[in-house]
Amino acid sequence: MLKFSGIKKSFKGVEVLHGVSFEIADGSVTAIVGENGAGKSTLMKILCGVHTDYSGEIFIDDQKVTFRNPKEAKDCGISIIHQELSCFPDLTVAENIYIGNEPVNKIGFINFSKLARDSEKILKEFKFPYPSNIKIKNLSVGWQQVVEIVHALSKDAKIIIFDEPTSALTENEIKILFEKIRILKQSGKAVIFISHRFEEIYDIADDIIVLRDGNFIGKYDVKDISRSELIKKMVGKELLETKQNKAARSDEVIFKVNNLNVFKKDKKVLSGITFNLRKGEILGLAGLLGSGKTELLKFLFGEFRASHTGEILLNNEEFKPKSAIHSLKKNIFYLSKDRKAEGIFAGLDLINNSIISVLDNYSSFGFLSERKIHSLVMNQLKMLNLKFNSLHQPIQTLSGGNQQKVLISRGMLTNPCIMLLDEPTRGIDIGAKEEIYNLVKELSTKGISFIISTSEIPELLKICDRVLVLYNGAPTAVLNTKETDTKNILHYTFNQQEEYA
Amino acid sequence: MLRNYKIRLTENEWIKPVSGVIIIFIMCVIISPINDQGNLVFLKFENLANILRQVSENGIISIGMTFVIIAGGIDLSVGSILALSATITAFGVMDWQLGFFLTILIALLVSSFIGFLNGVITSWGKMQSFIVTLAMMTAARGLALYISNNNSRDIGFGLGAAPAIFKIFTTSYLGVPFPVYIFILATILFLIILRKSKFGRYVYAIGSNEEAAVLAGLKVKWIRTYTFIIAGFLSGLSGIIHTGQLLQGNPNDGVGYELDAIAAVVIGGTSLMGGRGSLEGTFAGVLIIGLLSNILGLHGIQKDFQLMLKGAIIVAAIFIQESGFRFKLLNIFNFNKKITS
Repeated sequence: MLKFSGIKKSFKGVEVLHGVSFEIADGSVTAIVGENGAGKSTLMKILCGVHTDYSGEIFIDDQKVTFRNPKEAKDCGISIIHQELSCFPDLTVAENIYIGNEPVNKIGFINFSKLARDSEKILKEFKFPYPSNIKIKNLSVGWQQVVEIVHALSKDAKIIIFDEPTSALTENEIKILFEKIRILKQSGKAVIFISHRFEEIYDIADDIIVLRDGNFIGKYDVKDISRSELIKKMVGKELLETKQNKAARSDEVIFKVNNLNVFKKDKKVLSGITFNLRKGEILGLAGLLGSGKTELLKFLFGEFRASHTGEILLNNEEFKPKSAIHSLKKNIFYLSKDRKAEGIFAGLDLINNSIISVLDNYSSFGFLSERKIHSLVMNQLKMLNLKFNSLHQPIQTLSGGNQQKVLISRGMLTNPCIMLLDEPTRGIDIGAKEEIYNLVKELSTKGISFIISTSEIPELLKICDRVLVLYNGAPTAVLNTKETDTKNILHYTFNQQEEYA
Repeated sequence: MLRNYKIRLTENEWIKPVSGVIIIFIMCVIISPINDQGNLVFLKFENLANILRQVSENGIISIGMTFVIIAGGIDLSVGSILALSATITAFGVMDWQLGFFLTILIALLVSSFIGFLNGVITSWGKMQSFIVTLAMMTAARGLALYISNNNSRDIGFGLGAAPAIFKIFTTSYLGVPFPVYIFILATILFLIILRKSKFGRYVYAIGSNEEAAVLAGLKVKWIRTYTFIIAGFLSGLSGIIHTGQLLQGNPNDGVGYELDAIAAVVIGGTSLMGGRGSLEGTFAGVLIIGLLSNILGLHGIQKDFQLMLKGAIIVAAIFIQESGFRFKLLNIFNFNKKITS
C-alpha cells in the first residue's frame, strides 16, 4: 500500500502542491487525472525521488520512506514507465531487462545462459511471442513497452507508474499493454496510471484520483462517477473566467484552410482541418498532448515535411507550405514551443537573435549596416518593454519570458501578417505571460492575425476570438470564446461532445 | 543582470588566447638563448619574421577551419587539399606550362570545388562533416597521387620551366617573407567577413542552433557549404605557398595539417560545438604554436620532444579555455565573492 500524507512542494517560493494526501491499494489500478499544472507530474517526481525538497510524508506498507535520489526509490520497489521509452535499441530483450543488474559469473563476465533463462521465464508470463535474444529495435513500440514493464518487474517493483504510456501506441498495442497491466494487478502490484484519455481510464482503472491546482479533490470508484462529473471535478467550480474578448476588427478573411489532411509515411497526422482566419483575429488551438497542434502549426509554416490534400488560401491565392524561407517571404512567422532547441541562439547577443531573419534588408553588398540595426533593435525591444543591460549580452542571460519577447521581436521585424505561436507562454512566469498576451492583443489591433496553441484553456479564453479544438489530429469544434467556457472546451478536448450535448 | 554582463566581457573569447600569446612571447624572451654578441636570439628581427613565415601555411588553413568549426562542422580534408593544390601548382608551371596566373587559378578552383563537394555532401546528403571530410581526405590525396603519378615535381626556372615570377614566394619585402603578407592579408580580409558581414552572422547562427536557424529562414545548407568552400580555397592557397617555398610539389605533403589547424582553432578559444569563436583567437592560437616550436628549436630540442610538449600544451590550453580556469583559481583564493557581487 502506498500512502501520501500532506505532501507540499514549492518551486522558487510558489507552492504547487498544497498538502496532498491519499492512499493507493495494492492489486489495483489507480488513474490520476487533472489538467495541466494540476500537480500530477510533480507528485510522481517526488515519488520517484527526482524532487527531494518537499514536506509531508510517504508511506509504503506503513513504513515511512524518504528518497534522496531516483536510485533509492527504485531500490524501494518504485518503477516508472515514461511516455518516451528509455530502452536500448541495439541490445537484446534479455539484456534490456537485466540492464544494470546482469547475472555475472565468478570473474565478472555476464552469465548469458542464466540471463536468457531468467528473462524467458518472466517473458512467458507476459506471453511474449519472440525469443529473448531479439534486438529491441526490431520490436513494435507496444512490445518495447512490455519489455520495459518486465524490466521494472525484474527489480521487484511493488509500485509501477505508467506516465501517459499510450500516446505512442496503436490501438492493438494498447490492448496488449492493458492485458499486461491486468496481469500486474492480479499479482498484487499497485499500478498508477496517468493519462488524458478517458476511454482508457474507464477501461483499465479501478479508482480515479482527481488533482486540481495542486489540491487533492477526491478518490472515486470508476463505476460511481460519470465522465462529465469527472470533468467537472477536474475543472472545479470557478468556471466563470474574466473574459476580455474583443470583436474581430475586420471581416476580411486572409487565411483559409479547407479540409486539410496531412500524411506522414502513410500515417494520417491531421485530418479534415477546416477554418478561416480573419484579419486581426486571434484563433486559439486547444487539444491534448499529441492532438496535432504543433504539427498543424509547423505544417502551415512549411517545416513539417509531409504530403497533404486539401486547400489552403492565403489572401485568396493558393498557398503551398514549402519551407520556412518561403513562408517568411509570404509574411508568415512561426514561434516554436521549444524555445531552447528551436528558438534562441543561446550564445549570440540580443541584436543577432532579434535581427537574424531580416539581415538581408539591413546590409549592403553583404556587409551589415550596424548603426541602423542597433537603433532598430533598440527601438523594437524598448517597445516590447524588455529589460536588459546591453544589446550585446547573450540571450541566455535573460529569463525565459524575456527570451520569448526577443523571439517575438524577431517575428515582428519580419513584418508578418500571420503569426503562428506554439505554446508562447510555456515555462515563463505569470507576469511575463500577461505581458506577452497584452502584446498579442495590441498587435492584433494593428491587423496581424494570430494562431496560438496552448494547453492552458483559461489563457485561450482570455485572449482568443475563437478556439479550434483538436482531438487526435481532427477538429472537434470551433468555438466562439464569448459563448463558451473552460468546461465546454475541455469536453471537446477529450472528444466528449456527445455526452455534453 | 549587471553581473552577467560583466562576466561576459571577461569571457570574450579572444581575450584569453591573445593574452596567452603575450605571456608566451614574454616567456620566450626570458628563456631565449643569447648569441656571441650578447643579443637575445629570439628577439632578432630575422627570427621573428621567420616565425611568421613558418606559421603562415598553417595560419591560412586555420582561417578556413575557423569558419567551418564555428558553423558547427569540421574539415579533415584540408591537408590533402593542400597536397593536391601543391601538386597541381608544380605540374602546372613545369609540365603543363600554363604560366603563373593560370596555374594558380586552376589550383584555387580545384581546391574550392573540393570544398564545395564537402559542403554539398554534408548538407544535402545529411551526413556528418567528420565522415564526409574524412572520405575526402583520402580521395583528394588519391587524386594528387594520380596527377603526379606518385612523384614529387621539383621547380626549376628558365626556358621550358617555371616563370621567374614564381620566385616571389621565397622573396622578402622589407625583410618580411612574401607568404607572411598573404597570411596577414587573408586574416584581415576574413576577419572583416566574419565580424561585419551578413554571412558571418549566419555562420555563427547555424553553429549555435541549426534548428532555430532553419525556422528563422536561413539557407542553412548553403551557408554551411560556403564555409567548406572557404576552407578548400584557403587550403589551396596554402598549397600554392607550400610549393612556392619548397620549390617542390609533393603529393605526399600536408599529412596531419588538419590536426595542426584544428589545434590552432581550438587553442584560439573556438568551441568545437560551434556557434562560438573568433578569428582573432585563431590568429593567436597559430602564433602560440609557432612561438613554442621556435623557442624549442632555438634550444636545439629534438623533434620528438617538441611533439610531446606540443601535445601537452594543446591539452593545457584547452583546459584553460573550457574550464574557466581563472574563476577556478579565484575560487581557490576565495576572491570570487568580490568579483561576482
